[in-house]
Amino acid sequence: MTKLELFEPAMCCSTGVCGPSVDETLLTITSVFEGLSQVSSVEASRHNLTSDPDAFVSNQKVLTLMKESGKDSLPITLVNGEVVKSGTYPSIEELTNYTGVVFVEQSESSSSCCGGSGCC
Amino acid sequence: MNVYDPNEIDLTPYLFFTGKGGVGKTTTACATAAHLADQGHAVLLVSTDPASNLQDVFQTSLSNKPVAIEGIPNLSVANFDPVTAAAEYKESVIAPYRGILPDSALENMEEQLSGSCTVEIAAFNEFAHVLTDKTIKSSYDYILFDTAPTGHTLRMLELPSAWSQYLDENTTGASCLGQLSGLGDKKDMYAHAVETLSKKDLTTLILVSRPQASSLIEADRASQELSQLGIMNQLLILNGLLEGADDALSSAIISQQERDVKQMPQQLQSITQYAIPLRPYSITGIDRLRAFLTDKPVEAIQMNQSVTPSATLQDMVDDLIQSNKNIIFTMGKGGVGKTTVAIQIAQSLVQAGKQVHLATTDPANHIHLYLNDTDKLTISHIDEEKELADYTEDVLSKARKTMNKDDLAYIEEDLRSPCTQEIALFRAFADIVDRADEEIVVIDTAPTGHTLLLLESTQSYAKELERSAGEVPISIQKLLPRLQNPDETEVVMVTLPETTPVYESMRLDEDLTRAGIAHSWWLINQSMYAADSTHPVLRARAENEVQWINRVADLSDGRFATAEFTPEFDTALTK
Repeated sequence: MTKLELFEPAMCCSTGVCGPSVDETLLTITSVFEGLSQVSSVEASRHNLTSDPDAFVSNQKVLTLMKESGKDSLPITLVNGEVVKSGTYPSIEELTNYTGVVFVEQSESSSSCCGGSGCC
Repeated sequence: MNVYDPNEIDLTPYLFFTGKGGVGKTTTACATAAHLADQGHAVLLVSTDPASNLQDVFQTSLSNKPVAIEGIPNLSVANFDPVTAAAEYKESVIAPYRGILPDSALENMEEQLSGSCTVEIAAFNEFAHVLTDKTIKSSYDYILFDTAPTGHTLRMLELPSAWSQYLDENTTGASCLGQLSGLGDKKDMYAHAVETLSKKDLTTLILVSRPQASSLIEADRASQELSQLGIMNQLLILNGLLEGADDALSSAIISQQERDVKQMPQQLQSITQYAIPLRPYSITGIDRLRAFLTDKPVEAIQMNQSVTPSATLQDMVDDLIQSNKNIIFTMGKGGVGKTTVAIQIAQSLVQAGKQVHLATTDPANHIHLYLNDTDKLTISHIDEEKELADYTEDVLSKARKTMNKDDLAYIEEDLRSPCTQEIALFRAFADIVDRADEEIVVIDTAPTGHTLLLLESTQSYAKELERSAGEVPISIQKLLPRLQNPDETEVVMVTLPETTPVYESMRLDEDLTRAGIAHSWWLINQSMYAADSTHPVLRARAENEVQWINRVADLSDGRFATAEFTPEFDTALTK
């Protein structure tokens, strides 16, 4: 079992639709985590600073990093409790390295046929 | 059209008053409540208007629990300020982490919780409490609300995603309903509240409008939006009809009112209408409240206030020229006349020999009715609907690739929030402000401080992602520092000399200050005091403006200008 945790800065929504441009990284992260929720060997979770500050405070490694470099340290990625990345989101390749799960981008047509989240 | 008399109308137990700031909905709601109570009905009036002056109206100290009003047996009033409630909510989220999380992180959280949506949800929460409280229901015959929920809030609450993972899992917290997260147990209460709103025999929506084109168009929009959500039982009250012309100004006002009422949007015409004449007094104290819906004269109150002298619009423009401003925004809520002020500023700048670009959110072909094209002045149109549609499509085309249907529906509704509209508009500002290197740019609308701060935080954060996501246009990255530079930017706060518009402007002002946006001038538009009419009703209205003119004088440290009342100020722009 791999435990993957992502600690993210406060933002109005996890998909990044509220910024001056659409943030495709966040859309990708959202779909990767949705995909991971169906993988039994990985326990993946996201914590947003606004809605879930407790998670930040109760994790000593995250709190230490934030005290050192403020909110610029976010987002922070943890694998099995160890910090593996700070300041930027992990790439798809890195996520594969962490979890052993390979992510395949679904084509446009398949998304419209099942209206799903990359699970069909 | 019949004169509005609540005792002559079959009313439902729940009455919601709605209308844009300054149309007199709180006054109408209070007078209705007083009349029903005087007939022997048990009445509760609930205010969720942040600019509410109910304490002055009833001369009673109020709280969010019903307080019996001395002097009006059978009437209780509860005053709930959603702005304070939203601030308290924000503090309750942040306080436990002070000194634990670094300041930069706390500021980041704070801004996310400062949007207008938070205030809307706080107000709805209060509606829902009152609508579902059994004790309240059995204690009162009539329950009146001086505001109504917006269509956006109601649609949000109807979405399945609002109640599923978006709120409960906390990981995908969305913008507008953030305040509801963790409140899944309130679902039944909200559902019951929404149901009550759509029952014809329980709820009436009372649309309050000025007899004026822009106000009627706004009422029509609210009417259609809420009837689509099942709130079909509606009444229209036209507040402030002037009678008996006796000088040029009063006869111009009367013909403008008659014409605008006759030409009101068609769907609005099918709603039962009532009129309230323009009264020569403002509502303070119970006697005046009781007189408001009758023709009874009230005793004049000697005001004895002196008015703070103000600059003219020309003085203000001279100052803007002297201090070399090249980016000028006019800011204010709808209906205060931002566009006419922007036009006047542009014209004065041209007369002073400046090269000017006027960007307006009103269709440019209407602006051309006012302005002669010269080689000194160019005009462009910011099409808000198109900007929003482009932005929405941009977001959805990307979201469709990854999201399931329910979450997508949620994003779609999120994109209809006021915050999103501002962000979409913001992208258009960037291109226009870019022109300010060669000419003076005048824009008839301005971004709020909240939008700017939100973008600032996403921007610095987008920079870190530049390699993978870097899509923030250069013009947007340059925009924020320019707007914060008082040497080139001025945001003129446009307001009206009335309660609600001044309160609304105060909130916009605080917001700009928070974002460090350069603003110093206030402009009081449509001042009856400055118009100097001989008509007794208009003269009395002018007297009432004095306190608000003085208030603006205070707020602006004396840097304010006044423009006199003109009856046609919004007509050409709404055709």
